[in-house]
Amino acid sequence: MVQQGGDSSSTLEVRDVTIRFEGLTAIDQVNETVTPGEILGLIGPNGAGKTTLVNTMTGFQEPTVGDVLLDGTSVRKVNAHQLRRMGVSRTFQAGRLFREMSVVENVEVAGVGMGLRRAAAHKEATKLLDWIGLSDRANVLAGALPYTDERRVGIARALIQSPKFMLLDEPAAGMSDLECDDLMKLVQRVRDEFGCGIVLIEHNMRVVMGVCERIHVLDSGRTIARGTPGEVQKNPAVIEAYLGKG
Amino acid sequence: MEPKSPLGHMVREVWPLIILSVGLLLVVVVIQSFGDRIVSQSLTEGLIRLVVVIGLYIFIGNSGLISFGHIGFMMIGAYATAWQTMDPMTKDIFIPGLPAYLLANSHHWLIATIIGGLIAAIAACISGLAMMRLSGIAASIGTFALFMSFYSLYLQWSTWTAGQSSLVGIPVTTTPWVAFWFCIVAMIGAFVYSRSKFGLALRASREDEVAAKAAGVNVTGERVISFTLSAFFVGMAGGLYGHFLGLLTVDTFYLPMTFITLSMLVVGGMQSLSGAVVGTIVLSFVIELLRKAEKGFSLGETSISLPASSAEVGLGIILLLILIFRPSGFTRNSEIYWPFKPKVAVTEVTHRQS
Ligand SMILES: Nc1ncnc2c1ncn2[C@@H]1O[C@H](COP(=O)(O)OP(=O)(O)OP(=O)(O)O)[C@@H](O)[C@H]1O
Ligand SMILES: [Mg+2]
Repeated sequence: MVQQGGDSSSTLEVRDVTIRFEGLTAIDQVNETVTPGEILGLIGPNGAGKTTLVNTMTGFQEPTVGDVLLDGTSVRKVNAHQLRRMGVSRTFQAGRLFREMSVVENVEVAGVGMGLRRAAAHKEATKLLDWIGLSDRANVLAGALPYTDERRVGIARALIQSPKFMLLDEPAAGMSDLECDDLMKLVQRVRDEFGCGIVLIEHNMRVVMGVCERIHVLDSGRTIARGTPGEVQKNPAVIEAYLGKG
Repeated sequence: MEPKSPLGHMVREVWPLIILSVGLLLVVVVIQSFGDRIVSQSLTEGLIRLVVVIGLYIFIGNSGLISFGHIGFMMIGAYATAWQTMDPMTKDIFIPGLPAYLLANSHHWLIATIIGGLIAAIAACISGLAMMRLSGIAASIGTFALFMSFYSLYLQWSTWTAGQSSLVGIPVTTTPWVAFWFCIVAMIGAFVYSRSKFGLALRASREDEVAAKAAGVNVTGERVISFTLSAFFVGMAGGLYGHFLGLLTVDTFYLPMTFITLSMLVVGGMQSLSGAVVGTIVLSFVIELLRKAEKGFSLGETSISLPASSAEVGLGIILLLILIFRPSGFTRNSEIYWPFKPKVAVTEVTHRQS
């Protein structure tokens, strides 16, 4: 299934974004631009603000200061569901599947959300599950899945109708090395075959260093480093942030 | 045994609908065969309530939000229908505030009922647009506030509703069979809706609102659609009710009606059409028996009667027991099973609607 989601002129950008929650500054003047076909790692200690940044980029959290731009146009005020239709999709740290629905229905919902009729959504969902290797589980209740499959369903749901950008929130959490390898392959396949730009939040350094071309490091809401995996690994501020907080 | 033919497939697709319709038909035929006028009236009332409960299911079952406001839409439908069917002379006397067109004309009850339902639906759509951004308990309280406003408004608005007194002179056109056919139409409507993309999207938001948004679902919009459709059926049920009683009072559409219909849905199982139907049938029987017992019955020499309001108390107790011991209701929120398939693992989705 070769689908070309991204065209290379597309961008997803946060510009000087600051997000405050009643006094707590969760994100502090952060800048980043993602382009189709790249895999950007977003790392940082617990509570660094990674999820909050992804929330802003996907329409779930309006920035207190600054702007979010899709292809150069402000989407700061755009709702999450509209932004999904415009090609920015995401997964969740907690999986958040529709547990009382079957696996195929979970993906079908996203097809319907994207404006497909139900039959067309079902067809797309089936194709996508086949692509991602879950066709034998299509009629199983999503709540009964092991977490590795759960993540795949989340990714399938985010992939329907070829988004331009996909933001993954800790997809490898709790996985074994072997399972991580599968996930890394999947992320690369998504990039290669769908052509979308991927933002990957991940604590597992092996995964991050393995698939990301570029890394953005947050600590207490501030950018402390940006660069290639090699550069970031050697950066004293990054080492300090990780060692200092465990 | 898997059906192979297209017809077999279709039968299987709509199986719950077939079973529920045939079951309801049997209930109606058996009860009608008693030939008792009083029993037949209870039957009609029960069937009208079933239309209300199916309407409630369309919204509550799929959205997961509890509405305390739908009886307000029943009232709107009831009055709007009566405005159209009453004799112009009677309208002149009791509700002279109506617009000139309504004062001078009357419509056939069926057309009037459909228009009544549409007016209730419009009211729901407008209020829903304002309210359906809310979730959880806030949404429920919102619907309750709406309900109280409608109720107070209709009490005050006496040139249209006869206010505190009853609006009499409504033609009695709702027979058991009329009510039965409305039940069938409501069941088909509810079934088709919940299988549609709208139903699917709304159920997704019931499971996880945030994830539904991330899947591109316009949660507020889907709720408004469902709220509107459910108010349409509830509004038509209101029209039927007025034309069953032959008169209307605003008080008919107050807390007892809200309590009874919500209980029926909860007891049957909120998240399935089968639950709405089963809950209504079972509780209607229970209420009838308790009402009978309130009036007294004789056991040999002695005559026994339960205290007044036993029906309400009994209903409350049943509701509490269900909430405590079986919160997913009699049907466990499932539709009625296709009986011809070998048993499958519990993790397989077979005929769950959601
Ligand atoms: N809605 C909110 N209201 C108040 N505070 C919030 C909210 N969301 C996040 N925070 C706070 O903002 C900070 C950043 O949280 P965030 O979830 O973005 O961190 P994270 O980097 O994703 O952490 P983790 O690795 O644990 O997932 C935390 O201190 C968190 O408590
Ligand atoms: Mg996080």
